[in-house]
Amino acid sequence: MKLQYIKRLLSFVLGVIITVGVSGCGSNNHQPNNAVINFTDDDGNIVAMNAPAERIISLYSAHTENIYSLGAGDKLIGNYHTAIYPPEASKLDMFDYAADPEKIIAANPDVVLVRPFITRKTPDNIKALKKAGITVISLYPDTFDSFDDYINKLAKVCGKEDTAKELLEKFHAELLEISEQTEDISDKQKVFFETTETNIRTTTDDSMAGRAIGTAGGENIAKTAKQSESGSSIAEFGAEKVLMNADNIDVYISQRGAMNSGGSLESIAERDGFDVIKAVKNKRVYTINEKLISSPTFRYVKGVREIERFLYPEIADNLQEYKTDEIATKKDFADIIVKSQHMPIYVPSSSKYYDSEQKGHTFGMFEDVKWTEESFDNIETAVNSGSVEWEKVDGKEYYYPENAVTREELAKAVFILGDFKSADNTMTIGDIADCENKRIIETLVSNGVFTLTNGRFEPKKEVTKNEVIAALSGV
Amino acid sequence: MKIKKILAAAIAGVMLMGVCACGSTKSDSESVAIKKGDAAKQAILVVSFGTSYNDTREKTIGAIEKKIEASFPDYDVKRAFTSQTIIDKLKERDNEEIDNVTEAMDHLISDGYGTVIVQPTHVMNGEEYDQMISMCKPYEDKFVSLKFGKPMLSSTKYYETVINAVAAETEAMKQADTAVVFVGHGTEHYANSTYAALAYRFNAMGYKNTFVGTVEAFPDMDDVKAKLKDSGVKKVVLLPFMIVAGDHATNDICGEEEGSWYTELKKEGYEVIPIKKGLGEYAGLQDMFASHVQDAIDSSEEVAE
Repeated sequence: MKLQYIKRLLSFVLGVIITVGVSGCGSNNHQPNNAVINFTDDDGNIVAMNAPAERIISLYSAHTENIYSLGAGDKLIGNYHTAIYPPEASKLDMFDYAADPEKIIAANPDVVLVRPFITRKTPDNIKALKKAGITVISLYPDTFDSFDDYINKLAKVCGKEDTAKELLEKFHAELLEISEQTEDISDKQKVFFETTETNIRTTTDDSMAGRAIGTAGGENIAKTAKQSESGSSIAEFGAEKVLMNADNIDVYISQRGAMNSGGSLESIAERDGFDVIKAVKNKRVYTINEKLISSPTFRYVKGVREIERFLYPEIADNLQEYKTDEIATKKDFADIIVKSQHMPIYVPSSSKYYDSEQKGHTFGMFEDVKWTEESFDNIETAVNSGSVEWEKVDGKEYYYPENAVTREELAKAVFILGDFKSADNTMTIGDIADCENKRIIETLVSNGVFTLTNGRFEPKKEVTKNEVIAALSGV
Repeated sequence: MKIKKILAAAIAGVMLMGVCACGSTKSDSESVAIKKGDAAKQAILVVSFGTSYNDTREKTIGAIEKKIEASFPDYDVKRAFTSQTIIDKLKERDNEEIDNVTEAMDHLISDGYGTVIVQPTHVMNGEEYDQMISMCKPYEDKFVSLKFGKPMLSSTKYYETVINAVAAETEAMKQADTAVVFVGHGTEHYANSTYAALAYRFNAMGYKNTFVGTVEAFPDMDDVKAKLKDSGVKKVVLLPFMIVAGDHATNDICGEEEGSWYTELKKEGYEVIPIKKGLGEYAGLQDMFASHVQDAIDSSEEVAE
């Protein structure tokens, strides 16, 4: 304890000396040469550190998520209390920038990550942290173009610059791939993107969300909307202008989240006069979680892909690669379900999600499907729809992604996702005793959705990907 | 010098106490003569939990209020919600101002109402109802007359009315091959036994395949699944047993997601037909709330039981 105190005092004194030294040169832009890590943060403060941080508290959900993506999650000792992604972040000690800073100081971090919004909102708390000798770093990319710079700074702080380079290359390559899929389409889908239900605001064109519309091959009808206040990605628009464009809006997207929430599917449809909007008439109103599309994280690629799925489902949800007679795994099964039903990928929306016990599977808790895997979203989404099986063993949850899909599992998914009339006169099924879901199988066979082989259903028989596609196409 | 100061302080203290005592006596006597508003100026305050779903709000709470308005032309009908979260959301989102119970009481006083009936749209005498009563209590002597209408299922005699009202609009209750499942909210309050009593009454009135469950308490989904299995039906009509078909009805009951009543009953192989219809939409129940207002007007009780 005493040693820590001396260390902190020493680092503080050193910090003062460096700052004084810098100021002494008469230029705030001059950076000290002796620090290994040095850059100017988004509050305009010079960050100078001799080694990457080892004990980080992040007070912004995007910082937390990015540090995990960079592979430095083990350096996080604390998290902002509403940040729930990736799933393991919910297990960290939780802190609040608006609460007494003593709690943060007592946790003994070497770096506290904030953003300019927090510095503006609670300047005294930030001062208190700095006074305690903690390096406070404020970062936030307010445009899409400043994302790389932001990630690189964050990577410097946690010593993961090489990983950052790789991730950013992949990030831009994936975005390019998405934009190339729709670049030849001449008749672009026209989009309105709602960010707040109050006064029907939209997003600025250079924001993460604004850029996403273009990357996904859409045309933003509110492209010229001006930001509501300096530094904000929210832009004024209003119901009147939306209605003036009623015939032009092919797709209406509402961004939902904790702050500045757009409307729900129900509330948009029931607004005065909104029933004349083309997208409302054609049932092409979608909601997207703000964490996917407006938060500066690598999950943004998923958000852009979601928008592409809303705009061009025939391209983005193409099942061509699954059209083979190979046996379908449960991983393929989830992909085909999500794509064929055009299900929006599932993301828990409440920051209190992990506070209460879930009725079924808990998001992110499969032992055999981690959030870093490509199959993660479709598996979580298919499971959330209740159409696929999973198992709980000794309190741990398993999906078994590599297991083959059986006829009975396929039948259950088809029944749950579709609407089938209960059968009046059930056919005789020779092996019905071997089926766990007797009623479902009787109904589907009677409805002609599944056929019998020699009078038997063969529930344990494995199915091919083509069979999965065929069965789900009728749903 | 020091002694003088202490003495001065003590004297000042005693004087102050004297003044306070006089003051309080005066205010007590004043409250007896408090102005109570004009007895001929009459209002019915309809108190609901509230919902942020605009369309269902007007079909349910709004419809009950309209029924009451039409039945009592001599009264002004006012609206209050008990959920502050919903009040705040409507203010922020739609710029719509809705009073909470305390604000509504204050407005009734400032507008000079002397005769007030408070009619809750609650299903039972549960926690929401208790809270509403305790919020109104401090206003008891501010009106010439302040009376309370009863919630929907506040005594045995009302069960039959409720069952007849829902049966009149639920064709499936008469079909032998179809089960009807009403799903209520459920509460930790002792009034939760209302649900089991209601289920018993459905059965006693001959609706053998009508079952009652709750989202958060007893009887739960497993209890209802067992009843469905025994009944032998293949088809299930799923209905919320809540005044408003809002969040719970949309997600927990009729939602197409793991854990919802809709999906979990489908997993059992039933053909499930979800109907998002709040209790406030049934004409018979709108009439019932109006009759509870009439009962309150006719009653000699000035305060809630």
